[in-house]
Amino acid sequence: MDESQLIARVRAGDSAAERALYNAHVDRVYRLAFRLAGDDALAQDFTQETFIRAFDRLGSFRGDAAFSTWLHTITTTVVLNGLRKVKRFRQREADIDDAHEIGVSHRHAEPDLKARLKQAIDDLPEGYRTVFVMHDVEGYTHEEIGAVLGVETGTSKAQLSRARAKLRVALSDFAGEWVT
Amino acid sequence: MMDQHEDPKFEQWLQRAAKSYHTPQPTPRDAMWKRIEDARRNKHVIELRPWMRWAVAAAAVLILGIGIGRWSAHQSAAGSGGTVAAVTDSAAPAQSDLSYQIAATQYLSHTEAFLTSFRADIGSHGAANTARLARQARDLLSTTRLMLDSPAAKDQRLRSLLEDLELVLVQISQLDPARDGHDTDLITQGMNQSNVLPKLRSAIPAGPVPVRTEGAL
Repeated sequence: MDESQLIARVRAGDSAAERALYNAHVDRVYRLAFRLAGDDALAQDFTQETFIRAFDRLGSFRGDAAFSTWLHTITTTVVLNGLRKVKRFRQREADIDDAHEIGVSHRHAEPDLKARLKQAIDDLPEGYRTVFVMHDVEGYTHEEIGAVLGVETGTSKAQLSRARAKLRVALSDFAGEWVT
Repeated sequence: MMDQHEDPKFEQWLQRAAKSYHTPQPTPRDAMWKRIEDARRNKHVIELRPWMRWAVAAAAVLILGIGIGRWSAHQSAAGSGGTVAAVTDSAAPAQSDLSYQIAATQYLSHTEAFLTSFRADIGSHGAANTARLARQARDLLSTTRLMLDSPAAKDQRLRSLLEDLELVLVQISQLDPARDGHDTDLITQGMNQSNVLPKLRSAIPAGPVPVRTEGAL
Protein backbone atom coordinates (compact mmCIF):
# COMPACT_ATOMS: atom_id res chain seq x y z
CA MET A 1 0.00 0.00 0.00
CA ASP A 2 1.45 3.39 -0.92
CA GLU A 3 1.48 6.34 1.45
CA SER A 4 -1.44 8.20 -0.10
CA GLN A 5 -3.65 5.13 0.40
CA LEU A 6 -2.42 4.84 3.96
CA ILE A 7 -3.26 8.49 4.61
CA ALA A 8 -6.73 8.01 3.11
CA ARG A 9 -7.32 5.10 5.48
CA VAL A 10 -6.16 7.17 8.46
CA ARG A 11 -8.60 9.90 7.44
CA ALA A 12 -11.33 7.25 7.32
CA GLY A 13 -10.58 6.40 10.96
CA ASP A 14 -8.54 3.20 10.48
CA SER A 15 -6.45 2.87 13.67
CA ALA A 16 -4.17 0.19 12.15
CA ALA A 17 -3.32 2.64 9.38
CA GLU A 18 -2.54 5.30 11.99
CA ARG A 19 -0.06 2.97 13.62
CA ALA A 20 1.47 2.06 10.25
CA LEU A 21 1.89 5.72 9.34
CA TYR A 22 3.42 6.38 12.77
CA ASN A 23 5.83 3.45 12.38
CA ALA A 24 6.92 4.68 8.97
CA HIS A 25 7.95 8.13 10.25
CA VAL A 26 8.54 8.02 13.98
CA ASP A 27 12.26 7.20 13.86
CA ARG A 28 13.16 10.24 11.81
CA VAL A 29 10.88 12.53 13.80
CA TYR A 30 12.31 11.30 17.11
CA ARG A 31 15.89 11.58 15.82
CA LEU A 32 15.38 15.18 14.77
CA ALA A 33 13.61 16.04 18.04
CA PHE A 34 16.42 14.43 20.04
CA ARG A 35 19.16 16.17 18.05
CA LEU A 36 17.54 19.54 18.61
CA ALA A 37 16.46 19.01 22.22
CA GLY A 38 19.38 16.92 23.49
CA ASP A 39 17.18 15.25 26.05
CA ASP A 40 15.23 11.99 25.84
CA ALA A 41 12.21 13.12 27.86
CA LEU A 42 11.85 16.31 25.82
CA ALA A 43 12.39 14.43 22.54
CA GLN A 44 9.65 11.95 23.48
CA ASP A 45 7.30 14.77 24.45
CA PHE A 46 7.94 16.62 21.20
CA THR A 47 7.53 13.46 19.10
CA GLN A 48 4.22 12.64 20.78
CA GLU A 49 3.00 16.20 20.32
CA THR A 50 4.01 16.10 16.64
CA PHE A 51 1.97 12.99 15.92
CA ILE A 52 -1.01 14.15 17.97
CA ARG A 53 -1.11 17.37 15.95
CA ALA A 54 -0.47 15.56 12.67
CA PHE A 55 -3.36 13.13 13.18
CA ASP A 56 -5.65 15.95 14.30
CA ARG A 57 -4.81 18.07 11.26
CA LEU A 58 -4.47 15.38 8.64
CA GLY A 59 -7.62 16.77 7.02
CA SER A 60 -5.68 19.91 6.12
CA PHE A 61 -2.88 17.96 4.40
CA ARG A 62 -3.50 18.56 0.71
CA GLY A 63 -0.64 16.48 -0.66
CA ASP A 64 1.09 19.42 -2.40
CA ALA A 65 4.32 18.44 -0.66
CA ALA A 66 5.48 15.03 0.54
CA PHE A 67 3.85 13.85 3.77
CA SER A 68 7.28 13.63 5.40
CA THR A 69 7.91 17.31 4.62
CA TRP A 70 4.56 18.29 6.13
CA LEU A 71 5.26 16.13 9.20
CA HIS A 72 8.75 17.55 9.66
CA THR A 73 7.35 21.07 9.45
CA ILE A 74 5.13 20.20 12.41
CA THR A 75 8.12 18.60 14.17
CA THR A 76 10.35 21.66 13.89
CA THR A 77 7.50 23.96 14.95
CA VAL A 78 6.73 21.81 18.00
CA VAL A 79 10.39 21.41 18.97
CA LEU A 80 11.42 25.04 18.51
CA ASN A 81 8.33 26.38 20.30
CA GLY A 82 8.81 23.84 23.08
CA LEU A 83 12.48 24.70 23.51
CA ARG A 84 11.69 28.42 23.58
CA LYS A 85 9.12 27.78 26.28
CA VAL A 86 11.57 25.77 28.39
CA LYS A 87 14.29 28.37 27.84
CA ARG A 88 11.98 31.22 28.88
CA PHE A 89 10.93 29.30 31.97
CA ARG A 90 14.51 28.49 32.96
CA GLN A 91 15.61 32.07 32.33
CA ARG A 92 12.83 33.44 34.49
CA GLU A 93 13.75 31.10 37.32
CA ALA A 94 17.46 31.80 36.88
CA ASP A 95 16.77 35.53 37.22
CA ILE A 96 15.12 34.84 40.54
CA ASP A 97 17.75 32.48 41.85
CA ASP A 98 21.05 33.35 43.42
CA ALA A 99 23.61 34.34 40.77
CA HIS A 100 26.32 32.37 42.53
CA GLU A 101 24.31 29.19 42.26
CA ILE A 102 23.89 29.66 38.51
CA GLY A 103 27.60 30.24 38.04
CA VAL A 104 28.49 27.03 39.80
CA SER A 105 25.96 24.94 37.92
CA HIS A 106 27.27 25.90 34.48
CA ARG A 107 30.99 25.98 35.06
CA HIS A 108 33.11 23.51 33.12
CA ALA A 109 36.81 22.99 33.76
CA GLU A 110 39.00 22.37 30.70
CA PRO A 111 36.32 20.92 28.47
CA ASP A 112 37.46 18.45 25.84
CA LEU A 113 36.75 18.79 22.15
CA LYS A 114 33.42 16.96 22.30
CA ALA A 115 32.16 19.20 25.10
CA ARG A 116 33.43 22.35 23.36
CA LEU A 117 31.78 21.32 20.10
CA LYS A 118 28.50 20.67 21.89
CA GLN A 119 28.67 24.02 23.64
CA ALA A 120 29.54 25.82 20.41
CA ILE A 121 26.58 24.25 18.58
CA ASP A 122 24.27 24.98 21.53
CA ASP A 123 25.39 28.62 21.44
CA LEU A 124 24.50 29.11 17.76
CA PRO A 125 21.49 31.33 17.03
CA GLU A 126 18.35 29.20 16.74
CA GLY A 127 18.04 29.45 12.95
CA TYR A 128 21.69 28.61 12.33
CA ARG A 129 21.60 25.70 14.76
CA THR A 130 18.45 24.25 13.26
CA VAL A 131 19.85 24.31 9.72
CA PHE A 132 23.23 23.02 10.88
CA VAL A 133 21.72 20.10 12.78
CA MET A 134 19.38 19.22 9.93
CA HIS A 135 22.05 19.41 7.22
CA ASP A 136 25.40 18.49 8.73
CA VAL A 137 24.20 16.17 11.48
CA GLU A 138 21.01 14.56 10.15
CA GLY A 139 21.77 14.78 6.44
CA TYR A 140 18.72 16.71 5.15
CA THR A 141 19.21 18.46 1.81
CA HIS A 142 18.86 22.24 1.50
CA GLU A 143 15.71 21.67 -0.55
CA GLU A 144 14.19 19.59 2.26
CA ILE A 145 15.24 22.13 4.89
CA GLY A 146 13.81 24.99 2.85
CA ALA A 147 10.48 23.18 2.46
CA VAL A 148 10.30 22.18 6.15
CA LEU A 149 11.28 25.58 7.57
CA GLY A 150 9.45 27.58 4.91
CA VAL A 151 12.55 29.43 3.71
CA GLU A 152 14.35 29.70 0.37
CA THR A 153 17.05 27.14 -0.39
CA GLY A 154 19.55 30.01 -0.59
CA THR A 155 18.61 31.09 2.93
CA SER A 156 19.26 27.59 4.21
CA LYS A 157 22.68 27.55 2.50
CA ALA A 158 23.55 30.99 3.86
CA GLN A 159 22.57 30.02 7.40
CA LEU A 160 24.63 26.84 7.20
CA SER A 161 27.63 28.79 5.95
CA ARG A 162 27.30 31.28 8.82
CA ALA A 163 26.85 28.49 11.34
CA ARG A 164 30.03 26.79 10.14
CA ALA A 165 31.93 30.10 10.24
CA LYS A 166 30.84 30.68 13.84
CA LEU A 167 31.79 27.14 14.80
CA ARG A 168 35.18 27.55 13.18
CA VAL A 169 35.87 30.60 15.30
CA ALA A 170 34.53 28.94 18.45
CA LEU A 171 36.70 25.86 17.88
CA SER A 172 39.83 27.65 16.70
CA ASP A 173 41.81 26.17 19.63
CA PHE A 174 41.39 22.81 17.95
CA ALA A 175 42.50 23.92 14.45
CA GLY A 176 45.16 21.22 14.42
CA GLU A 177 42.40 18.63 14.30
CA TRP A 178 41.27 19.57 10.80
CA VAL A 179 44.42 21.14 9.34
CA THR A 180 46.46 17.95 9.65
CA MET B 1 34.39 29.66 -7.06
CA MET B 2 35.09 28.92 -3.45
CA ASP B 3 33.55 31.26 -0.91
CA GLN B 4 36.05 32.98 1.36
CA HIS B 5 34.51 31.18 4.36
CA GLU B 6 34.66 27.74 2.78
CA ASP B 7 37.22 25.28 4.01
CA PRO B 8 36.54 21.74 2.79
CA LYS B 9 38.87 20.19 5.37
CA PHE B 10 37.15 21.95 8.23
CA GLU B 11 33.69 21.11 6.88
CA GLN B 12 34.52 17.43 6.50
CA TRP B 13 36.00 17.31 9.97
CA LEU B 14 33.04 19.22 11.41
CA GLN B 15 30.48 16.89 9.81
CA ARG B 16 32.27 13.86 11.25
CA ALA B 17 32.70 15.40 14.69
CA ALA B 18 29.14 16.73 14.85
CA LYS B 19 27.69 13.23 14.56
CA SER B 20 28.33 12.96 18.29
CA TYR B 21 26.10 16.00 18.97
CA HIS B 22 23.03 14.85 20.94
CA THR B 23 23.35 11.26 19.74
CA PRO B 24 19.81 9.85 19.76
CA GLN B 25 18.85 6.78 21.74
CA PRO B 26 16.82 3.95 20.17
CA THR B 27 13.29 5.19 19.43
CA PRO B 28 10.88 4.16 22.21
CA ARG B 29 8.13 3.48 19.67
CA ASP B 30 5.64 1.52 21.76
CA ALA B 31 5.83 3.73 24.84
CA MET B 32 5.28 6.87 22.80
CA TRP B 33 2.47 5.31 20.77
CA LYS B 34 0.63 4.36 23.95
CA ARG B 35 0.84 7.92 25.25
CA ILE B 36 -0.27 9.32 21.90
CA GLU B 37 -3.34 7.08 21.91
CA ASP B 38 -4.16 8.00 25.52
CA ALA B 39 -3.73 11.71 24.88
CA ARG B 40 -5.97 11.60 21.80
CA ARG B 41 -8.64 9.78 23.78
CA ASN B 42 -8.53 12.45 26.48
CA LYS B 43 -8.29 15.39 24.14
CA HIS B 44 -10.41 18.54 24.17
CA VAL B 45 -10.50 20.07 27.59
CA ILE B 46 -10.83 23.80 27.00
CA GLU B 47 -9.67 24.27 23.44
CA LEU B 48 -10.21 27.79 22.13
CA ARG B 49 -11.34 27.29 18.52
CA PRO B 50 -10.93 30.18 16.04
CA TRP B 51 -14.55 31.30 16.44
CA MET B 52 -14.12 31.14 20.20
CA ARG B 53 -11.25 33.62 19.95
CA TRP B 54 -13.71 36.09 18.48
CA ALA B 55 -16.07 35.26 21.33
CA VAL B 56 -13.26 35.85 23.81
CA ALA B 57 -12.48 39.18 22.18
CA ALA B 58 -16.16 40.15 22.18
CA ALA B 59 -16.51 39.11 25.80
CA ALA B 60 -13.45 41.14 26.68
CA VAL B 61 -15.00 44.20 25.07
CA LEU B 62 -18.19 43.53 27.01
CA ILE B 63 -16.27 43.13 30.26
CA LEU B 64 -14.47 46.38 29.57
CA GLY B 65 -17.79 48.02 28.78
CA ILE B 66 -19.32 46.69 31.95
CA GLY B 67 -16.31 47.94 33.89
CA ILE B 68 -16.68 51.41 32.42
CA GLY B 69 -20.43 51.26 32.93
CA ARG B 70 -20.09 50.27 36.55
CA TRP B 71 -17.49 52.91 37.11
CA SER B 72 -19.60 55.61 35.54
CA ALA B 73 -22.73 54.30 37.29
CA HIS B 74 -20.91 54.39 40.58
CA GLN B 75 -19.85 57.96 39.85
CA SER B 76 -23.45 59.01 39.26
CA ALA B 77 -25.11 56.63 41.74
CA ALA B 78 -25.80 59.36 44.24
CA GLY B 79 -27.92 61.24 41.71
CA SER B 80 -29.52 58.53 39.50
CA GLY B 81 -29.96 55.44 41.70
CA GLY B 82 -27.51 53.13 39.84
CA THR B 83 -29.83 51.51 37.27
CA VAL B 84 -26.98 50.84 34.79
CA ALA B 85 -25.33 48.33 37.10
CA ALA B 86 -28.60 46.46 37.57
CA VAL B 87 -29.00 46.04 33.81
CA THR B 88 -25.47 44.76 33.19
CA ASP B 89 -25.35 42.31 36.10
CA SER B 90 -27.32 39.65 34.19
CA ALA B 91 -24.49 39.17 31.66
CA ALA B 92 -21.75 38.90 34.28
CA PRO B 93 -21.73 35.13 35.14
CA ALA B 94 -20.95 33.93 31.58
CA GLN B 95 -18.19 36.49 31.20
CA SER B 96 -16.82 35.54 34.56
CA ASP B 97 -16.60 31.87 33.45
CA LEU B 98 -14.76 32.95 30.34
CA SER B 99 -12.30 34.92 32.42
CA TYR B 100 -11.67 31.80 34.50
CA GLN B 101 -11.09 29.81 31.31
CA ILE B 102 -8.49 32.30 30.14
CA ALA B 103 -6.85 32.20 33.56
CA ALA B 104 -6.94 28.39 33.38
CA THR B 105 -5.21 28.42 29.98
CA GLN B 106 -2.43 30.62 31.33
CA TYR B 107 -2.09 28.49 34.44
CA LEU B 108 -1.93 25.27 32.38
CA SER B 109 0.76 26.77 30.10
CA HIS B 110 2.86 27.74 33.09
CA THR B 111 2.43 24.32 34.70
CA GLU B 112 3.33 22.58 31.45
CA ALA B 113 6.54 24.60 31.20
CA PHE B 114 7.34 23.78 34.83
CA LEU B 115 6.76 20.03 34.51
CA THR B 116 8.65 19.87 31.21
CA SER B 117 11.53 21.68 32.82
CA PHE B 118 11.28 19.43 35.90
CA ARG B 119 11.63 16.29 33.81
CA ALA B 120 14.58 17.72 31.92
CA ASP B 121 16.39 19.26 34.90
CA ILE B 122 15.84 16.93 37.80
CA GLY B 123 19.01 15.45 39.19
CA SER B 124 21.22 17.65 37.04
CA HIS B 125 22.01 20.48 39.46
CA GLY B 126 21.94 18.90 42.90
CA ALA B 127 20.25 19.95 46.12
CA ALA B 128 19.84 23.64 45.25
CA ASN B 129 17.93 22.69 42.13
CA THR B 130 15.69 20.31 44.07
CA ALA B 131 14.91 23.03 46.60
CA ARG B 132 14.06 25.47 43.80
CA LEU B 133 11.77 22.96 42.10
CA ALA B 134 10.01 22.22 45.38
CA ARG B 135 9.44 25.93 45.98
CA GLN B 136 8.03 26.46 42.48
CA ALA B 137 5.79 23.41 42.89
CA ARG B 138 4.39 24.87 46.13
CA ASP B 139 3.54 28.13 44.33
CA LEU B 140 1.82 26.26 41.53
CA LEU B 141 0.05 24.03 44.02
CA SER B 142 -1.62 27.07 45.60
CA THR B 143 -2.87 28.16 42.17
CA THR B 144 -4.01 24.61 41.37
CA ARG B 145 -6.14 24.52 44.50
CA LEU B 146 -7.61 27.92 43.71
CA MET B 147 -8.43 26.66 40.21
CA LEU B 148 -10.09 23.56 41.67
CA ASP B 149 -12.34 25.81 43.73
CA SER B 150 -13.12 28.12 40.81
CA PRO B 151 -15.90 27.88 38.18
CA ALA B 152 -13.23 26.70 35.70
CA ALA B 153 -13.31 23.32 37.45
CA LYS B 154 -16.97 22.84 36.54
CA ASP B 155 -15.60 21.16 33.40
CA GLN B 156 -15.15 17.54 34.50
CA ARG B 157 -12.14 16.90 32.28
CA LEU B 158 -10.38 20.01 33.49
CA ARG B 159 -11.19 19.05 37.09
CA SER B 160 -9.70 15.60 36.52
CA LEU B 161 -6.56 17.12 35.02
CA LEU B 162 -6.26 19.61 37.89
CA GLU B 163 -6.53 16.76 40.38
CA ASP B 164 -3.76 14.85 38.59
CA LEU B 165 -1.62 17.98 38.60
CA GLU B 166 -2.32 18.57 42.28
CA LEU B 167 -1.00 15.10 43.07
CA VAL B 168 2.19 15.57 41.04
CA LEU B 169 2.81 19.05 42.46
CA VAL B 170 2.30 17.83 46.02
CA GLN B 171 4.96 15.16 45.42
CA ILE B 172 7.42 17.64 43.92
CA SER B 173 6.77 20.22 46.65
CA GLN B 174 7.72 17.60 49.27
CA LEU B 175 11.02 16.64 47.63
CA ASP B 176 13.85 16.55 50.11
CA PRO B 177 17.07 18.10 48.71
CA ALA B 178 19.13 15.85 51.01
CA ARG B 179 17.85 12.58 49.54
CA ASP B 180 18.91 10.81 46.36
CA GLY B 181 16.94 10.61 43.14
CA HIS B 182 14.64 7.77 44.17
CA ASP B 183 11.70 10.08 44.90
CA THR B 184 12.12 11.95 41.64
CA ASP B 185 12.19 8.67 39.72
CA LEU B 186 8.89 7.73 41.33
CA ILE B 187 7.39 11.10 40.42
CA THR B 188 8.47 10.88 36.79
CA GLN B 189 7.22 7.29 36.59
CA GLY B 190 3.89 8.44 38.00
CA MET B 191 3.76 11.30 35.49
CA ASN B 192 4.40 8.87 32.64
CA GLN B 193 1.84 6.36 33.85
CA SER B 194 -0.90 8.94 34.33
CA ASN B 195 0.02 10.69 31.07
CA VAL B 196 -0.09 14.06 32.80
CA LEU B 197 2.02 15.97 30.29
CA PRO B 198 0.26 14.79 27.10
CA LYS B 199 -3.12 15.49 28.77
CA LEU B 200 -1.87 18.90 29.83
CA ARG B 201 -0.68 19.74 26.33
CA SER B 202 -3.94 18.56 24.84
CA ALA B 203 -5.74 20.97 27.14
CA ILE B 204 -3.74 23.97 25.96
CA PRO B 205 -4.60 25.63 22.65
CA ALA B 206 -1.71 25.80 20.15
CA GLY B 207 0.51 28.89 20.06
CA PRO B 208 2.30 30.91 22.70
CA VAL B 209 0.32 32.10 25.73
CA PRO B 210 -0.09 35.74 24.65
CA VAL B 211 -1.60 34.52 21.35
CA ARG B 212 -4.03 32.21 23.09
CA THR B 213 -5.53 35.07 25.04
CA GLU B 214 -4.91 37.68 22.36
CA GLY B 215 -7.59 40.31 22.19
CA ALA B 216 -8.99 39.40 25.55
CA LEU B 217 -7.22 42.09 27.44
